[in-house]
Amino acid sequence: MDPMYTHISQQYNAELEDIRSKVLQMGGLVEQQIDQALQALVKGDVALGEAVIMDDTKVNSMEVAIDEECSQIIARRQPAASDLRLVMAVIKTITDLERIGDEAEKIARMAVRLAGEERPKNNYAEIHALGMHVRTMVHNALDAFARVDIEAAFNVAREDRKVDEQYEAVIRQLITVMMEDPRTISRVLNVIWAARALERIGDHASNLCEYIVYLVKGKDVRHTSLEQVEKEILGRPSGS
Amino acid sequence: MDDTKVSEIRQMIIRHKRWDRLFALLGLCAMILGVLTLTVLFADLLIDGAHRIGVDFFTSFPSRKPESAGILSAFVGTCLVMLVTVVTAVPLGVAAAVYLEEYAPRNWMTDLIEINVSNLAGVPSIIYGLLALGLFVYALDFGQSILSAGLTLALLILPMVIVATRESIRAVPGSIREAAYAVGATKWQTVSSHVLPYSTGGILTGVIIGLARAIGETAPIITIGALTFIAFLPPAPIMAEAPFISFEWLFAPFTVMPIQMFNWLSRPEEAFQSNAAAAGVILIAMTLAMNALAIWLRYRYRKRIKW
Amino acid sequence: MLNIPKANLSTRNSGSSPEPTHLKAEVQQLNFYYSNGFHALKNINLALAEHQATALIGPSGCGKSTFLRCFNRMHDLYPNNRYQGKIIMHPDNTDILGPKVDPIEVRMRISMVFQKPNPFPKSIYENVAYGLRVRGLRRRSMIDDKVEQALRSAALWEEVKNRLNDLAFNLSGGQQQRLCIARALATDPEILLFDEPTSALDPIATASIEELIHELKTKVTILIVTHNMQQAARVSDYTAFMHIGDLVEFGDTDQIFTNPRQKRTEDYITGRYG
Repeated sequence: MDPMYTHISQQYNAELEDIRSKVLQMGGLVEQQIDQALQALVKGDVALGEAVIMDDTKVNSMEVAIDEECSQIIARRQPAASDLRLVMAVIKTITDLERIGDEAEKIARMAVRLAGEERPKNNYAEIHALGMHVRTMVHNALDAFARVDIEAAFNVAREDRKVDEQYEAVIRQLITVMMEDPRTISRVLNVIWAARALERIGDHASNLCEYIVYLVKGKDVRHTSLEQVEKEILGRPSGS
Repeated sequence: MDDTKVSEIRQMIIRHKRWDRLFALLGLCAMILGVLTLTVLFADLLIDGAHRIGVDFFTSFPSRKPESAGILSAFVGTCLVMLVTVVTAVPLGVAAAVYLEEYAPRNWMTDLIEINVSNLAGVPSIIYGLLALGLFVYALDFGQSILSAGLTLALLILPMVIVATRESIRAVPGSIREAAYAVGATKWQTVSSHVLPYSTGGILTGVIIGLARAIGETAPIITIGALTFIAFLPPAPIMAEAPFISFEWLFAPFTVMPIQMFNWLSRPEEAFQSNAAAAGVILIAMTLAMNALAIWLRYRYRKRIKW
Repeated sequence: MLNIPKANLSTRNSGSSPEPTHLKAEVQQLNFYYSNGFHALKNINLALAEHQATALIGPSGCGKSTFLRCFNRMHDLYPNNRYQGKIIMHPDNTDILGPKVDPIEVRMRISMVFQKPNPFPKSIYENVAYGLRVRGLRRRSMIDDKVEQALRSAALWEEVKNRLNDLAFNLSGGQQQRLCIARALATDPEILLFDEPTSALDPIATASIEELIHELKTKVTILIVTHNMQQAARVSDYTAFMHIGDLVEFGDTDQIFTNPRQKRTEDYITGRYG
């Protein structure tokens, strides 16, 4: 969004640009966390898992820092219109990103637990698939934020439905495994927590898209159905 | 800032301050010169005439004997002429100024009038005398009277009153006018409730300064023929019988203080010079008193009004 | 004609459903030319909602003060200004710009508060009473009552009730401005015009005047020009953004400040203008 850069006050420009880039940085870090947590789970890499757990503090401190900056912008600049929506969107985005970070940390914990256990035949392929799907969602959401692209944001939000379906499938599979062999229950439970965390990440990513729509259109679309959003915001009949 | 820079600045300041002090000195000398001259003149008059000032000086008519000569007729004449001047000049001047400032449309004719009003203030007073002679004394047949003298002097100070009034009216800020109009006042309501009352200080000052000038004007009065030896007073304005108010005094012959002084000065006797000096002292005292009144009034009115 | 959006502010406060908004005045195709020919207002169309505050914002020279002064015909005080178009007052449908309408009549229905407080150099009482005297009110008791009422409405009564004969100049800046507001209110105007009323005041005086405007809305319709956008956002229900004589956008204050429709409005509000 080019006009971002043309405030009369250069300082103000710089401040807004700063929170944007910090959000993207945080997003990048969070993406990396998801990646590494998944890897740790699939490969049984304990060291990697523990690294992810430690790095969660970095994510948390980024959230605090960006929040602080946003407060200062509000106090100093009384932002209006699109600047106001940007600051509000950033504040909400970092909350969701921090939660994604927490979920990634949970996955890493599960990875550490599962590392010592017996590995299944398919090497957690289904988790890996779900994980990749979700990671792509997060990546695309951050991308849409960077480019302020509501079409892209909408597409990511639509993906969440598929992620939910995929998650349901994984759960059914895992339940079957547990039913076949009750000795695997405690191990599989951990896998289920990991899957749950991934599904959560998908929800958070879809939240990010809602904030992008708010940023661009000024309309709060939390709790609005996808079909409504498509019709009202994108201006086209649903399903196209 | 390092030491050399600071010392450079200091030296420069010292140099500039020398010019400061030089000019202050020159100004002081000029002022002393002016004040000293006036003081010396006044002291001279005082020395010459102080011994003559007393109650009988005020209450005696002029006579051929210097010791018994007084300024009664001249003093009364001056006061009456001033009265006529004020009564004529103030309403005319204020009304003209109000019209020019508030009502007149801004076109070339108004501009022309404005320029000419200011010019009139610089016309030599003897010209006014000639005008008065032709117009008041002969054409309107007022004769050589207090009325003619008063009207002449009124014409003389009219430009001063108009200019002073206009300046005072202009000093009333536009924001006050707008406030009055915004509340629904008509132009006359605005002028009468606000513009004129707030200008009163300035108008009074202008009138008094004009009078202070008129009091000493000799040339026009001579031209219209004030007599120099009057041993009687004009008839009193209040009579015992109906209709109780008489305007005969307006048409009576008269004299004024400057003329009386002029008359005494042209006599050879030494004693008359003292009389003239005494009259001069009184005239100056009257002028100073009027100026002091003007200043005090201005101060009083300015206290109430802070823009 | 213009579709007046609902006033969110009043419903938020009262919690009741919005009543249909009445119009106090309608501006139709208003153009204004200064005596030197300068086309200061270009085809303005606007409606003032009754008992609501409408703010006019815009950069210097955009014509907002010019527009405000059309409402009480202040331009008539200076020669050769020209109006084109109409401003219709409701409910009587009078066009206050009509050549047959006396500006004084207009000013008796529409009062104004100026940028720099300009009380008359008279007593506090006389300042407020002047508008009443101009209308021929003579009974002392009636004037007393109206003066008190006006001073109460301007939130000044408690501070001055014991010194009504004091000179108005002895009041502080904020009090003087409230006195000017009382003076404007004494005559029960239908519309109250504010021309940057707090730009000469400190933050505390500003806040008290803003609070006052909020209370006055129940009695009069308010049109306020301000160059302080946050003030417009705080005080008004509707906002109009003007730019070089054009009315760029007019709408609900909340909508204008969170999601304006026009790019020029957005640029001005966020400080990208220039």
